[in-house]
Amino acid sequence: MEYVIELKNVDKEFKVLNRHEGLKGSFQDLFSRDYKIIKAVNNVSMNIKPGEIVGYLGPNGAGKSTTIKMMTGVLQPTRGEIVVNGKIPYKNRTANAQNIGVVFGQRSQLWWSLPLIESFKLLKDIYGISDKDYKDMLTLYESLVDIKELYSKPVRQMSLGQRTLSDILAAFLHNPPIVFLDEPTIGLDVSMKAKIRNLIKALNKEKNTTVILTTHDMGDVDALCERIVIIDKGTMLYDNDIEHLRSFFGAYRTLLIKTKKRPEELSEEERKSELESVETIVKEDFADKDFTFSLSDEGWCSVLIDESQVRLMKVLNHIQEKMKVYDVRLEEISTESVIRKIYEDAENLKKAN
Amino acid sequence: MRIKAYGALVRASVMDFMQFRLAAFVMLLGNIIYLIVIYNLWRAIYASVDNATINGMSFNDTMIYLVLASAQFTFMEAYLVWEMGRSIQSGKIVLNLLKPISYDKYLLFGIEGGNLCAFVVTFIPTFIIVQIITKGAIHMGVNLLFYLAAALFGMIINFAIDFFVGTICLYTESTWGINIMKEVVVLFLSGATVPLAFFPGTLKKIAMFLPFHAIYNTPLTFLTKGEELGLGESFIMLGEQILWAVVLLIIGKIFWKLSERVITVNGG
Repeated sequence: MEYVIELKNVDKEFKVLNRHEGLKGSFQDLFSRDYKIIKAVNNVSMNIKPGEIVGYLGPNGAGKSTTIKMMTGVLQPTRGEIVVNGKIPYKNRTANAQNIGVVFGQRSQLWWSLPLIESFKLLKDIYGISDKDYKDMLTLYESLVDIKELYSKPVRQMSLGQRTLSDILAAFLHNPPIVFLDEPTIGLDVSMKAKIRNLIKALNKEKNTTVILTTHDMGDVDALCERIVIIDKGTMLYDNDIEHLRSFFGAYRTLLIKTKKRPEELSEEERKSELESVETIVKEDFADKDFTFSLSDEGWCSVLIDESQVRLMKVLNHIQEKMKVYDVRLEEISTESVIRKIYEDAENLKKAN
Repeated sequence: MRIKAYGALVRASVMDFMQFRLAAFVMLLGNIIYLIVIYNLWRAIYASVDNATINGMSFNDTMIYLVLASAQFTFMEAYLVWEMGRSIQSGKIVLNLLKPISYDKYLLFGIEGGNLCAFVVTFIPTFIIVQIITKGAIHMGVNLLFYLAAALFGMIINFAIDFFVGTICLYTESTWGINIMKEVVVLFLSGATVPLAFFPGTLKKIAMFLPFHAIYNTPLTFLTKGEELGLGESFIMLGEQILWAVVLLIIGKIFWKLSERVITVNGG
């Protein structure tokens, strides 16, 4: 089997009642047959190999969770084909459940009132895990994270981070070939995020588990994913490795300029006028070129330059001739700005693909 | 292996029950208040007629029946419709659907343990107290075994009805009204609130024709009329229960299968 997950031209439509406004409208709605079709997922195709960690990205409401729910078999696609582990998930949901693990960041599959270890024992019986596999898995867990001290703690008394950690371990417990993680690091602090990323990476490596991860946190993407799939408004925008994406945007570099000695002490208006003056200076000489201007948190003026159009040094020289520059910093474009650029402008991306 | 999985679900619900010990006491307290109310209500009803018996039931018979019915309610009612409605609304149902056990079995075995505990904690003490106060009004014989079997099937029938009604929540996405309606219909037609003996002729016939009486009336009959029932009659009553249980479970399963498709779990 070459691929663990195959999606071919998958569509998912929802029928939603057109609601009317006001009290009168509510009564109308009781008898209304006025439905509209919402296309949550539109012609999505992808193939995922065993052992891959795929980052599935997109803005809120892009159709990520819907796709995941179709892959797990909870939702049936309106059109198209989905094969997971060689089976059609929605037709074999219960059987498919044995071969997948899921974590929905906002919900817990653990027994709320019971100590963690009881939840693990229950899952052991529910998934029919053998004593030896169960023991080995716990030994592996204990070597990766400090989970032992959480065993006797009821889930409802756990912090969000501890709960998420436990939920991820629970999803991997029956050693499924595929694990779906829907926003696993949502709402966690920096150190917990790092812990969870390391854990996911280690489990993926140790067990060769395929991981499908949705997230809004670019840190997750940078730390975990070799490949990313981007979706927006139900349509797939990008499916390739991260390096490729960065190299496409690699011609972009950010020039940060400090125009005042202490820009952090400037007021909001003053900062804006500084940025405007930089903008006018750059534009008067390079009117036909594209730039993106913005302010950094510390009050530096940031200019995003496409070096295939104009060299960064040239721009800097020009600025320096016209105004006083206290300090200069160069930055490679981050994954975060790449993704932001993609969301903002899907057209460019089609060229990248 | 499957048996082990079901066992795990029963275990989980037993442990869950134990975690909320306080809830069991509150339940008991609520039950006592209910009993005080119906005691006075029926006292007034019997005081208003000249006969010592109404429809062949003395005041004592009626009280014994209603006390046991309310005790049976505490272990049979699992508030499954609420549970299903809540998990549909919150979208938590996804996690239950993604267990390698079909949803109906997941729910059934998930409430079984709690029911079992409630049986031990509330029904058995109530039974003993009734026996002591009435100086052994309940016949102690093979009818007790019949009661246990009948209570089990009654529980399954109750579950099947709840599961069916809970499935309707997939369409309505609201629970309150549906559940209230279900509770009124089931508790009334099953003879949990008023003994079926008090029903007027036609209504009683209709009630005996429906499955609900098999939840409360049938098991309780084994306790209150234990002496009079012959073996043959007892087995016929059990057989009717089994038939209803099977039919309703199948209907519930088919309805669920058809309805699964409408699941549009919250969140995008």
